[in-house]
Amino acid sequence: MKNCDSTRESLGAWLDGELDRAESEAVRAHLEGCVACKEEQRQLEKLQVALKSVLDSEASRIAFPPFWSSVQQRITEKSAWREDLVDWLRSVFSGPRIAWAIPAVILLLLGVLSGDSLVSGFRSFGQRNNFASVESIDAYGRNVALLREDETKTTVIWLYQNQEGEDESTTETRPSF
Amino acid sequence: MELSDWELVQKCQSGEMSAFEDLVSRYYQKVYMVILGLLRNRDDAMEVAQETFFRAYRKIKSFQGGSSFYTWLYRIAVNIAIDTQRRQKRNPLDFRETMDEVLEEQNEVAKDPFSDVHDKELRDRLVQAINDLTPEHKAVIVLRTLEGLSYKDIGEILGCSEGTVMSRLHYARKKLQSKLGGFL
Repeated sequence: MKNCDSTRESLGAWLDGELDRAESEAVRAHLEGCVACKEEQRQLEKLQVALKSVLDSEASRIAFPPFWSSVQQRITEKSAWREDLVDWLRSVFSGPRIAWAIPAVILLLLGVLSGDSLVSGFRSFGQRNNFASVESIDAYGRNVALLREDETKTTVIWLYQNQEGEDESTTETRPSF
Repeated sequence: MELSDWELVQKCQSGEMSAFEDLVSRYYQKVYMVILGLLRNRDDAMEVAQETFFRAYRKIKSFQGGSSFYTWLYRIAVNIAIDTQRRQKRNPLDFRETMDEVLEEQNEVAKDPFSDVHDKELRDRLVQAINDLTPEHKAVIVLRTLEGLSYKDIGEILGCSEGTVMSRLHYARKKLQSKLGGFL
């Protein structure tokens, strides 16, 4: 048998039909014998009616024709080339294709590094040749950083992803508050 | 016979603009209200609602029906609203101001918009109480009240668990109840 506190805790979910059968039955049984919780139920029901009235009155204010006309205008007028470019870049760099993008960027950086090392080796023999570079490899904030310290002959390759960078239109996106 | 959301989506995917128009007419008010709940400002909410449908149109070919259409649509709306909120440096107008404006406008042209509640004092307090809710509490209240969405769907849209939705709804209702005092 539920007590008043636990009944009130789940009363809203009970009214929303979100409790399982056993839990729901326990709430119903408690309500039958508790005047105070019955009053709580009445208040929540009235609150729900009032809320719906306020929110519905605002929603019904917006006429469809001008709204649709504005959406249509966006569809026809908004320049699509930028979105198309972003879509194309995402399709190229997302998912399985990232598999070749990462080594390709690393090879590119190593190539640049080797070339730089060779040229500077001829140009300034005996001088230190430290190197650092950060490259973005896709539209999702993935980056590769390459650091080389000449004296100790140490090379560090570091793959990382920025924290920001969510895509609101994909089903995988989980906005958080 | 009225077509299902999925049937309309499939027609959209094959290029039927009228099917997309049907989807917009089905959801534009609810989407607008969810966004208004988050942004408070009517002009911004209208802008984001229109952008939501524009982006949905652009992406509809990639919608595979893995989730329901309205969950997908609301998720786009909520994400744009959150981005807009982050970008905004100015102080948004109070929901109370916008709601009062609306109610005054409606009083001028039609019957009392609050006739279902029959209590102006209750209305005023409720509008103020909604205004005082945090965005995450307001979002669950709007999604549940207007659309009657399940906790599971609300959780999917807002990126949180069903338990969190239940908890937020509970506390949001408690806050509204306490603000309304003896008017309920």
